[in-house]
Amino acid sequence: MLSSKLFIRQVLALLAKDLKTEWRTREIFTSMFVFAVLVIVIFNFSIGADPELIHQVVSGVMWVALLFATVLGLQRAGQMEREEDSLYGVLLALSDSNALFVAKMIAQILYLLLLVICTLPLCSVWFRIDFLACIGGLWVVFALGILGLSIVGTLFAMVALHTRAHDVMLPMLFLPVTVPITISSVYATAQLIAGKNLKDIADYLTLMGIFDIIFFTLSLMIFDYFIEE
Amino acid sequence: MRIFGTILLFFIVFPLIFIRRNSVFQAVILYIIMDIAIFLVFIYVPTEKVQGIVQKIFYFHVSSAITMFLAFFIAFVASIMFLWKSSDWWDAVALSSVEIGVVFCTLVLITGPIWARPIWGAWWSWDPTLTLSLVLWLIYVAYLMLRADAHDPKRTRFAAVLGIVGFVDVPLIFWSVEKWRTLHPKPVLIQEGGTTGLTFAMLLTFVVCLGAFLLLFFYLLRERTSIAQSRYSLEVLRQEVDDLLAR
Amino acid sequence: MKNFWYLFAAYSIIWTALWAYTIRLSRKNKELQEELHDLQARVERVLTK
Repeated sequence: MLSSKLFIRQVLALLAKDLKTEWRTREIFTSMFVFAVLVIVIFNFSIGADPELIHQVVSGVMWVALLFATVLGLQRAGQMEREEDSLYGVLLALSDSNALFVAKMIAQILYLLLLVICTLPLCSVWFRIDFLACIGGLWVVFALGILGLSIVGTLFAMVALHTRAHDVMLPMLFLPVTVPITISSVYATAQLIAGKNLKDIADYLTLMGIFDIIFFTLSLMIFDYFIEE
Repeated sequence: MRIFGTILLFFIVFPLIFIRRNSVFQAVILYIIMDIAIFLVFIYVPTEKVQGIVQKIFYFHVSSAITMFLAFFIAFVASIMFLWKSSDWWDAVALSSVEIGVVFCTLVLITGPIWARPIWGAWWSWDPTLTLSLVLWLIYVAYLMLRADAHDPKRTRFAAVLGIVGFVDVPLIFWSVEKWRTLHPKPVLIQEGGTTGLTFAMLLTFVVCLGAFLLLFFYLLRERTSIAQSRYSLEVLRQEVDDLLAR
Repeated sequence: MKNFWYLFAAYSIIWTALWAYTIRLSRKNKELQEELHDLQARVERVLTK
């Protein structure tokens, strides 16, 4: 089912549609990027001028910015869906509704990847951290973390879409459930920046990997059930 | 101490008068066992040497915690069954279980710090069990908020998703906090749990307390499920009345 | 008895909360049952007319 040609074609088609819309308006990504930058800058002010202290909390600040940017991006995307009410039409046309989930998840991953690529240089300059030195390990941590956030985020975005308090609902659902990712990513990133290598953070990476696998499988299993009319 | 215990016994009798449902037998048994539990905690079990009488909080605190986990587990199973079978009864059970679970979780989060303050010298500590309870509280409160929003029966499916996801997350949150915790400084006067090396008296007391809480849980679950089902029936009936009036 | 008031606080909270919740459930249930029977009776009356 997951690897049938029809499925892949549908996923790619949906993905292309979302990305094309985004490319034309650039709404979602710009708001994510601006918001992430704002969060990082404001954090800087609220922590104070001590460079040692700032250096220690960089990892946390970056991931908080990522988390909130994810929520924001999903909310904007959800808003567009709600306005257009396009979801049901799309679902009718699909043979397997999981294609919708996978497509939206991949779109979110791409946005977050782009976001990370844009903000890392900024953080490098602002906080005087040499990310290039640990880029190998960093890449793994960000990949696993972004994957986890996208999976859970897309799932809950669909859930929160039709509720009345949808703006509040998404972060309320998303943030507690992704606590394992948050904890693991922040710690792993901090360790890498401090000069450790991948072997030292192996158990955090395992935790993130397990989280990703479990939630991806879970999402695929239950997506069908709650999206049907 | 004995006077305190007896006064407490009185406060147990009073509310049970109001419980008049067809499960009278269960209520009576529950009442008796609760009385026994209170007696055991305040009169029978000797005061613990190191922690003093505050240690007695442990009996109800841990019982609440175990009941909370059971509640969320039942909600997990019920949510799966609801998505699978689309039966309203399973949804009623899921909702009820989550609500009662949140009640017990709140109790855990309140009694924990009350115990911790005199023992550890601090109200809170980010150790795995406490942090897990806090995050669980957040997740299931979000569930209740989601349900409050959803009058359309279709939306109850969304809540079921959270019921499933929330529980699956439990071990993951626990492991991640376990690893994270080793970085955190412990509170000043920390002493580990106090649950190792229970004497027989303590063990007996704890088991009875746990039994009482579990009975209470199932009693509350039945009541709450009945309420949820009555609400559904009311909705259906109201629809019928509207239809009839429209004709 | 050192720390007595902590013990008292903890147990008072547990009992008040559980008691209040149980009472609320009981009352709500009775209310709903009555409303249900009421409505059912009215529907019957309309149908048999």
